[in-house]
Amino acid sequence: MQGEARVLWALLGQFSWQELRHHALRHGTAMLAVLLGVALAFSVHLINESALSEFSAAVRSVNGQADLSLRAASGGLSEGVYAQVARDPRVKLASPVIEVQTLARDAQGKRHPLKLLGMDAMVSGPLSPQLLPQLAKGVDRFDIFAPDSVFLNARAQRLFNVKPGETLQVQTGLAFKKLRVVGSVAGGNEALGLMDIGSAQATLGTLGQITRVDVQLTAGAQAAQVLAELKLPAGVVADTASDATQRVSNVSRAYRVNLTVLALVALFTGGFLVFSILSLSVAKRQQQLALLGVLGLSSRERLTLVLAESGLMGVVGSVLGLGLGTALAAMALRLLSGDLGGGYFPGITPSLHWSPWAALLYGLLGVLAAMLGGWVPARTAQRLAPAQALKGLGDATGQGGWPWLGPLMMLLGLGLAQLPAVNGVPLWAYLSVAALLMGGIISVPTVVGAVLQRLPEPRQPAALLALERARRMRHTATVAMAGVVASLSLSVALTVMVGSFRGSVTQWLDTILPADLYARATSGGGNSSEALHFDPALLTRLSQLPGVTRLHGLRITSLSLNPQLSEVALISRPLKQPEKNLPLVGALVPAQAGLVGIYVSEAMVDLHGARVGQALALPLRPGQPPVRALVRGVWRDYARQQGAILIDEDDYRRLTGDTRINDVALWLAPGSRTDQVEAAIRQVASQQGLAGELIEFAEPRQIRETTLRIFDRSFAVTYWLQAVAIGIGLFGTAASFSAQVLARRKEFGLLSHLGFTRAQILSTVGAEGLALSSVGALLGLGLGLAVSVVLVKVVNPQSFHWTMDLLLPWGRLGLLCGGVILAGTLTALLAGRHAAGRDAVMAVKEDW
Amino acid sequence: MKRPVVTSFTRFTRRHALLALSATALAPAQAQDIVEAPAPMRFPRDHGAHLDARTEWWYITGQLQAPSLKAPVGFQITFFRSRVEPAQGNPSAMAAKHLIMAHVALSDPTAQRQWHEQRLARAGLGLSEVSTEDTAVHLRDWSLSRQNAAEGSRYTARIQAQAFGLDLSLTSTQRVLLQGDEGISRKGPQAGHFSHYYSQPQLAVQGQLTRKDSATQQPLAVTGRAWLDHEWSDAYLPQGAAGWDWIGMNLQNGSALMAFRMRRADGSTLWAGGTFRAPGRAAQTFPAGEVHFKPGRTWQSPATGARYPVQWSVETPAGRFEVRARFDAQELDAHQSTGTVYWEGLSALLDAQGREVGSGYLEMTGYAGTLSL
Repeated sequence: MQGEARVLWALLGQFSWQELRHHALRHGTAMLAVLLGVALAFSVHLINESALSEFSAAVRSVNGQADLSLRAASGGLSEGVYAQVARDPRVKLASPVIEVQTLARDAQGKRHPLKLLGMDAMVSGPLSPQLLPQLAKGVDRFDIFAPDSVFLNARAQRLFNVKPGETLQVQTGLAFKKLRVVGSVAGGNEALGLMDIGSAQATLGTLGQITRVDVQLTAGAQAAQVLAELKLPAGVVADTASDATQRVSNVSRAYRVNLTVLALVALFTGGFLVFSILSLSVAKRQQQLALLGVLGLSSRERLTLVLAESGLMGVVGSVLGLGLGTALAAMALRLLSGDLGGGYFPGITPSLHWSPWAALLYGLLGVLAAMLGGWVPARTAQRLAPAQALKGLGDATGQGGWPWLGPLMMLLGLGLAQLPAVNGVPLWAYLSVAALLMGGIISVPTVVGAVLQRLPEPRQPAALLALERARRMRHTATVAMAGVVASLSLSVALTVMVGSFRGSVTQWLDTILPADLYARATSGGGNSSEALHFDPALLTRLSQLPGVTRLHGLRITSLSLNPQLSEVALISRPLKQPEKNLPLVGALVPAQAGLVGIYVSEAMVDLHGARVGQALALPLRPGQPPVRALVRGVWRDYARQQGAILIDEDDYRRLTGDTRINDVALWLAPGSRTDQVEAAIRQVASQQGLAGELIEFAEPRQIRETTLRIFDRSFAVTYWLQAVAIGIGLFGTAASFSAQVLARRKEFGLLSHLGFTRAQILSTVGAEGLALSSVGALLGLGLGLAVSVVLVKVVNPQSFHWTMDLLLPWGRLGLLCGGVILAGTLTALLAGRHAAGRDAVMAVKEDW
Repeated sequence: MKRPVVTSFTRFTRRHALLALSATALAPAQAQDIVEAPAPMRFPRDHGAHLDARTEWWYITGQLQAPSLKAPVGFQITFFRSRVEPAQGNPSAMAAKHLIMAHVALSDPTAQRQWHEQRLARAGLGLSEVSTEDTAVHLRDWSLSRQNAAEGSRYTARIQAQAFGLDLSLTSTQRVLLQGDEGISRKGPQAGHFSHYYSQPQLAVQGQLTRKDSATQQPLAVTGRAWLDHEWSDAYLPQGAAGWDWIGMNLQNGSALMAFRMRRADGSTLWAGGTFRAPGRAAQTFPAGEVHFKPGRTWQSPATGARYPVQWSVETPAGRFEVRARFDAQELDAHQSTGTVYWEGLSALLDAQGREVGSGYLEMTGYAGTLSL
């Protein structure tokens, strides 16, 4: 064995290295493809891991060593709950917390998001040591408890350019409150302000309310038992720090998996490229390999040699890919947030978490992809008949195969698409896509045969020759077209999916934004509903403004139905004719006496099992029994992936007593000018002592544009991947054509001797390329459409819990197919030009 | 006569300690302007809290014995209240308008060891409260309250600390002892420096002591004698004072002795005072110039390096006494929690002839340097 290994190394050094050196560009491209695949997959993995671990660290730093946190399912938690919990003898420590996302204004009047925390530093210490207030020098210690005192972390002090002793203006509702910076606080990754809990209540105007209670139990106390015996009021939910991490992990999992699959697609095409390049290189080195065979290199050793070549390419590509992936991830983490703009990890800036095991895994994946690509060429080298090949006769690619394997795999794919998601990941659907693609590619010879059989016999000799050759040597078509079929079908699938999504979002925006103008209290993003809102008195004044024909308010809060899952949005607005005003999916059921009618988004159906006609218990108000509600209909919501519940404004106000408003929709009288109405609204707000400049306005057209711009930006990466995939596919096709054309030099030489001109030979090759590309394009299109149906109808609903209509952008698809046919034909011509040169004539002599 | 209220946050530093003390030290300047005749004490109202006063405390020291104990152990239970001026206007029920601090300690002369623990919380929401009607204060599950009894007052103290537990009933055997001039106790040369101050000496103690470091952790039935101080003030520490020395002693014959001096940094006396009351007799209030503290043997704390006189000669109009610590190591090094260091311990009282005539507590502050302002 040792001797064998030595021979292998010697051959790799002497024989393979020469080949690689002579065709550095070609092999470099194959390595680059592997490199890109590994880099993309690895960086997506690193970014997600880093963001996730950073998020759980952030959760820990905010929740500290709390055994559990108590929150209200909806809205704020009564401070009485804190008192009740703190009194229990099994509770070692109870720390009340107010947490609000709001905005603050720097000296230049520029607004930035600020997280405002209210805590009791006398009990929070052991639970969250990073969030203890540190008084600045010269400040009286009792100023910690002054209602206008705030402690800022270093980030906030930098962001707002304030130092202890100066003031900061913080937005609450539609007004700014001046807070005095009296010191600093260590914790927090985002801009953070810490106040005493009593001061926070007074500042935010939420007397009697807190956000949550963090609880540490005495040793030996069981959280579940304590919770059961505490008999907390209805509507109080308990969760642990691991719940929060789990929730975020759940939320982002589908997004993560989607990105990883896209990255693996790049790797997949990389494998194809290795296949094509090595096929070409084996074809070119047929005689050398045969010579080695004659000199005693066994067939198994030839297999090993070519596999080792592919493996080496994989190793080099993978190692470089891991490096590039790390760099990409580091850059992305610095430039974008941890979720590549997905918005799943609020307010954290993660640092890179590099794991050698993950690196090993993705590196091996790259090597595996390359070696899989090298398998078929290696088998070719193994099956080489040395004597024949030395004479140039060894076209050993012919193999019967199993003609039913392809269709069978495609059938399997269809079956897999019917299976449900696994843990929120459309695993089976992805396997179904893989099966469809593989099956489709394997079926290429069969389909090529079937299609070409139906073509009429051409009169022209060159065309006849091309057709006959394509018909009879159709197994070679697999090699030539596989890359094209794979990349084209992926491109078609992505194009259709993105197009369908965009179309559906556009339609949805039209239904969801019926008014002429929308106003909202500037939000800092995230959970802003508690700090930023309009009050109803202002609404009444607005409705009397000239130019405003009617208006309605929107109240958006959140509701926790299951601590394992993220909170769902609770939206209250007037809902007189839901069938007209909502993007409903399916029919409405009639209202029932005694039940409050609600409308749920599609995600509610998948995540919370809220089916039409079913009754749901909504914990709308802490301390009161849950409200029984009837799901009257399901609507499509692309904005809130975690689910949303719509409830009529009158019902909401009656059940919760909450009359605040986040957004206002305004219908304007014909001819009234938007800017005048906006100015009037700001003026009314300012007259009431509010900061009118804090109101933001948006017109539906503007919202649509913004939404679609964001949409296009986030899908730009898929366009790039398509381009890369098609490029790699075409490169593979070119390599395969070159390989075959080279192997057919003698055939061309014979044709030359028979009187074929070079042009005629070239047109034969070109026609072959055209025929094969056309069939490949057709196949790729069909396959792509099948995959796109799986993506649109299975992957998306399972990942994101929303459905969309399948829309086919025919123009774009036509361009794609046309481009591939054109590129394929040109590639064949270029390859043929090289092979049909002068030496082709000489090639006939190789027999001698 | 106790230390000013030092509030703490868990991450308390030396700097915080200084700030805390400076808050009290700022008081003199204001106090000079507000000199008005305080109302005479009325009970039970004045057993309760006086929320307008800046600081207030109920301070119990005493000794406990049981047949199984080789020597009596000392104990200290204190509840402080501190008014937070900046939070007064806040309408929130969670606003920290008053802070409550509790400090408990146990001194065991046999083991030559002392254990102490502290708590701090804001008053409110029923979790920690202080009553204005009568002595009734609790900080989570640590509590002290008073009921009327045939003998006058009966206090109930319940403390479950990590190292020990105290469940005590303390019954008065004598009238309330008003300190100073009818309960107005001057602290410095300026008239504005005074506290409202009364004591309950010779309290008969009955109850249970639980030593959590013992093998059994069984409650031990104990009896003993204790001393309670209730004091409230707006202006406590006079300018120029670096600390103070204080004794509160129950004599075996039923007499009660309290003496204190405000001490300058150089060890000289800035102000002094005290009271002696023999059973059934009127209290004898000592004029400031007639109380003399003379330090004797000193003990250096290995932990802080501070040097404390653990024997004192105290000269009063009621006689000359010697105060002798029952054991030396009774320093409270609370750097980790409050940032303050002082000595507070069980001591014996000897008369001029060197006979032991009583027992009680000696308190010395400002020796570890942190009180030098």
